[in-house]
Amino acid sequence: MMISDIESDLKSKFPDSLLNVVSEDRRISLLVKKEELHQILSQLKDIGFNHFSDVTAVDYIADKEFELIYHLWSHREKIRAIVKVRIPREAPTVKSVFDLWTGAQIHEREDHELFGINFEGNPNLSPLFLEDWEEIPPFRKDFDTRKYVKEKYYSGEEGYPVAKG
Amino acid sequence: MKKLTPKVIKSKNEARAWSVWVINYFTACGFMELLPWVGSGYDMERFGILAVPTPRHADVFIIAGYVTRKAAKRIKMIYDQMASPKYVLALGSCPMTGGMYWDSYATIKRVDEIIPVDLWIEGCPPKPENIGHGIVMAANAIKGGLEGH
Repeated sequence: MMISDIESDLKSKFPDSLLNVVSEDRRISLLVKKEELHQILSQLKDIGFNHFSDVTAVDYIADKEFELIYHLWSHREKIRAIVKVRIPREAPTVKSVFDLWTGAQIHEREDHELFGINFEGNPNLSPLFLEDWEEIPPFRKDFDTRKYVKEKYYSGEEGYPVAKG
Repeated sequence: MKKLTPKVIKSKNEARAWSVWVINYFTACGFMELLPWVGSGYDMERFGILAVPTPRHADVFIIAGYVTRKAAKRIKMIYDQMASPKYVLALGSCPMTGGMYWDSYATIKRVDEIIPVDLWIEGCPPKPENIGHGIVMAANAIKGGLEGH
């Protein structure tokens, strides 16, 4: 299967949901609508993208949106598919792809922890690294790392931190 | 209990210094620099130092690399399981000051806020020679009567 076949296949099945498609040598990048995300990923799995590499997120705070980026790999065709989706920052909820690739579980759990994105259908979204975390998720742009660290770990004059204890 | 004579104490300390068993807690690059000591290159076993798999057999606790808040709880747990007398060596900048993670929200900045540290070995990460120097210093201190915790 060629890149152009994948593109035409998706365009015929999801004419309304594909906002942008970029095809390169061995890589296809899609920007899709949130509503049919799960169906598109399911279709991609059916046409051979059997390896789930990663799902990561970008915080576009000015647009009030998160962008989720799914990386898929086809061992048979040796093609990478990148699926991007924008979700609202206020209610960041998408359907989990745990039912398609079980390996997605840990990636979604990490995104939930660091960005506060909710994956419906993921069996375990408990904290992975951050125990006893009470602030907003730390990878969000409105989390002020430097301020938090100064208050939490240092006391002293401005610009000259002294460790507590 | 009968009081030990200075001669007995001296030989006890000597014996202790020549059989230091260590438990390692490595989170980062420090381990790469200690590896030559575990292998035949620098060979720490010729000094009677042995890496053991359980804290209950260990005399020395080596911490290398940054310590996250999650890891800090485990470090305390390991330390509490060790039998007295016990010594703690901290390797590298990260356990001392946070190192290059000084402004990270997830790492604690000074490991001696959780457990007492006997010897700090500087470096980012320390070279194997520095670590060897530190280990010899620790052995000499034990020989000289450092009691540990």
